[in-house]
Amino acid sequence: MTSDSVLPYPDTKTVGHADFYFATNATFRFIKQRHGIEGLRRYWQDIGREYYRPVSERWSKNGVAEYWRAFFAAEPSAQVQVHESPDEVRLEVKICPLIRHLREHGREIVPEICQHCYFVSEAIAQPAGLAVRVCGGNGSCTQRFMKNHAALEPQNLEDIATAS
Amino acid sequence: MMGCYDFCGHYEWTFEWLNRLGGHELVKAYWDEAIHRDSQLHASELIREKGFEGMKEYWGPTLADEGAVYERTMTKDVFRIDMHECPSKGFLIRNGLDQYSDYCNHCMGWIGPLMKQAGFVIDHEHNHRGQCWWEMRRKDNATPASAPGELSGEDDVRLRPGWQSEHTDHYERATDPDDKTAI
Repeated sequence: MTSDSVLPYPDTKTVGHADFYFATNATFRFIKQRHGIEGLRRYWQDIGREYYRPVSERWSKNGVAEYWRAFFAAEPSAQVQVHESPDEVRLEVKICPLIRHLREHGREIVPEICQHCYFVSEAIAQPAGLAVRVCGGNGSCTQRFMKNHAALEPQNLEDIATAS
Repeated sequence: MMGCYDFCGHYEWTFEWLNRLGGHELVKAYWDEAIHRDSQLHASELIREKGFEGMKEYWGPTLADEGAVYERTMTKDVFRIDMHECPSKGFLIRNGLDQYSDYCNHCMGWIGPLMKQAGFVIDHEHNHRGQCWWEMRRKDNATPASAPGELSGEDDVRLRPGWQSEHTDHYERATDPDDKTAI
């Protein structure tokens, strides 16, 4: 990955180390056990606003589709289609690399893990004037990124599957 | 989605988030409970069951997959790692990510309790530049840490021209991230 990468924090390797997904899952479990699901959602919102701030800046310049293409190219075993239209960018996640790796290794998955895609991405999207809606989960899902407006239906968390 | 490609970035950010929320004790609990006992339970099992052979099995593929430049030295009494280019700290330095006061502590934060549970103690130093060394011995072995070059020869990270730093953390027969002195 070169310094002109569309990813905010480039590395010398081209693809990440999948065992780090164990730590992501464990981090969510720890925060949920200590601070409840609301604490976990605050963590996701805070990390979206703070750590991923450079992504917000990119998205405010129409960089949503190219970001996700580069992102999933660097995630091991991800199978994701990125569709771009004038109104939205839609991700069709055929194989979620996170869920896949946790399942392959028999790890106990935090049931609400798929909600992190909504809460983190929504916190990234808001400063860029965008919104995200997630449907599905537990290994495959659809994520739609579009301009935020008052008539947009809020995310229904029941549309996001419980993972196992 | 939070990816594994830049995992070390959001991992380091998380230390500071937890520190703001619950201070040092919460960060320590996170390293022990979430990383040692949950994320890295495969490492715990290997090392508890196989001792030095388990360390070799765990750190061989893991450090290679992460892109580390390192050397391992194993005898019947000690397992040593010389880390010349830590992929994790290197990633943070290259990207200017420095939210938490001492990222390098996280290794002793999870490996320390793991080794304690498995019956080992650790001699260790890290220089906050992406270089460190580790020596694991059984807790009933009173042998002190090796002198530079004694165990790993010219691969000893302490012989590097850039090893000395203004802020090196030092541990002797430790299993707790707070058991350190600055040298």
